[in-house]
Amino acid sequence: MSGGTTEYTIVEDGSFTAPLELSYPYKRTVGPVLSRFLTGLRDHRIEGTVGSDGRVHVPPAEFDPVTGAALTEWAPVASTGTIVTWSWQPSPVEGNTLQHPFAWALIALDGADTNLLHAIDAGSPEVLSTGMRVQARWAAEPSGSISDIECFELAERATGAAS
Amino acid sequence: MAERCAVIGVGQTHHTSCRADVSIAGLVREAVDRALVSAHMTMADIDAIVIGKAPDMLEGVMMPELWLVDALAAAGKPVFRVHTAGSVGGSTAIVAAQHVMSGVHKRVLTVGFEKQSDGNAMWALSVPMPFGMPVHAGAGGYFSPIIRSYIKRSGAPAHIGCMVAVKDRTNACKNPYAHLHEPDWTLEKAMASPMLWDPVRMVETCPSSDGAMALVLASEDVADAHTGPKAWVHATAMRSEPTAFAGRNQVSPKASEDCAADLWRKAGITSPIDEIDAVEMYVPFAWFEPMWLESLGFAPKDQGWRYVEDGVTEMTGRLPVNCSGGVLSSNPIGASGMLRFGEAAMQVMGIAGEHQVDSVRKAFGHAYGGGSQFFAMWVVGANKP
Repeated sequence: MSGGTTEYTIVEDGSFTAPLELSYPYKRTVGPVLSRFLTGLRDHRIEGTVGSDGRVHVPPAEFDPVTGAALTEWAPVASTGTIVTWSWQPSPVEGNTLQHPFAWALIALDGADTNLLHAIDAGSPEVLSTGMRVQARWAAEPSGSISDIECFELAERATGAAS
Repeated sequence: MAERCAVIGVGQTHHTSCRADVSIAGLVREAVDRALVSAHMTMADIDAIVIGKAPDMLEGVMMPELWLVDALAAAGKPVFRVHTAGSVGGSTAIVAAQHVMSGVHKRVLTVGFEKQSDGNAMWALSVPMPFGMPVHAGAGGYFSPIIRSYIKRSGAPAHIGCMVAVKDRTNACKNPYAHLHEPDWTLEKAMASPMLWDPVRMVETCPSSDGAMALVLASEDVADAHTGPKAWVHATAMRSEPTAFAGRNQVSPKASEDCAADLWRKAGITSPIDEIDAVEMYVPFAWFEPMWLESLGFAPKDQGWRYVEDGVTEMTGRLPVNCSGGVLSSNPIGASGMLRFGEAAMQVMGIAGEHQVDSVRKAFGHAYGGGSQFFAMWVVGANKP
């Protein structure tokens, strides 16, 4: 946590202001479902849970969005997919897996019924359009997190489904 | 005239310091599943959900009720979130009861939880505000001067806090869900426990727990048709007051006294110690047992500590207090108030197992929060009110 001596200032009208910075060391415990998903990513395997209506959720839903039932059936999905929508990030910030301009995108992986938020390394926004085919680029050193997919990149135009 | 309401389902997790094996959603769901089983229901039977937890800052997940919709099977159903700091588990159960007593819903699921291991509850609530005195004291540091004030005004001897602690830790050994199972405490050993915030010793403080508690509340027709045990809600009350104002009595806050008076009036109770068979009281620091005994009207002013010393609040005493082991033995903060409310209901339902008191007709559940400023209480009984 932060604390210590307050460095306050007095603005022209006599009001006092001071900074208040908060930070705490939190932990995240993701449970058995997301743990299996993250373990799979480490081994270059993407899988989702199958909902009561047959939809495949990626990332996996722990509980069915329709019935609330605990989901236990898994389905493998491909590391290729289609861009559903995207937005260009011209100025990457600390913590982004790519440190040069890239696109944020919702990606429908082949075999999944939900969209995955991830980065696309496309070089320039001019070459991007909704419906284009992408494929995962795996991180050189897996860590058991979503960034084990370093980013997606455009699939070969020849094999693409985009029109 | 409010509709009648009964607790027909109770479920809790095994409280412990770190449930690394489950997500918050999975933790909540464990308690919910157990409550539904005891209510002979499934998720599909539930009309509405009322959820509470202590400040979101404790785990750093803002508005977790939105994220938990799937785990609560709440899609398309009314969901109500309650925020009243440490008293929230009690307030949440009361709001859930009001969902039924209003006549709007017949089957309401309510749940309180905390995953303290995901955060840092001690310091998340002790923010050093600019221009204020940076105390860095935590909850124990906040309450210790209030306890000292109680000791001074009542003339209580120094060992009373340790007597409460030994009682609650011993009781907890009869509760398989309790976080601490420490059968070897004696008064002598407790008195040698390290002093953390004078006069509060380590043994007199609550643990930091992961856990959840869930209840199913039902309307009269649903409860009548339910073949399992049930506990009728006889009265509920809530009161709040600011943390600080001139003339504030922090040992026995006016909001506490007013809340209890309102509760006893609504429940038709004139002598709480004679009419209540089991008490589940919010005691995160041991000295609060005698303090609340007085504030709530169970004991005369300055005499609460004598009830402790005379064994009145032992499981075998005239007024058993915290047979479950209480907050001193399990403290998943957002669930702790609901644990008091639910354990009171369990005593009435006769399902408390080894920590069951014989022939409980009426039980009292209590929670407080913030700087002794938020209060929630209920009376549940075996007979219809």
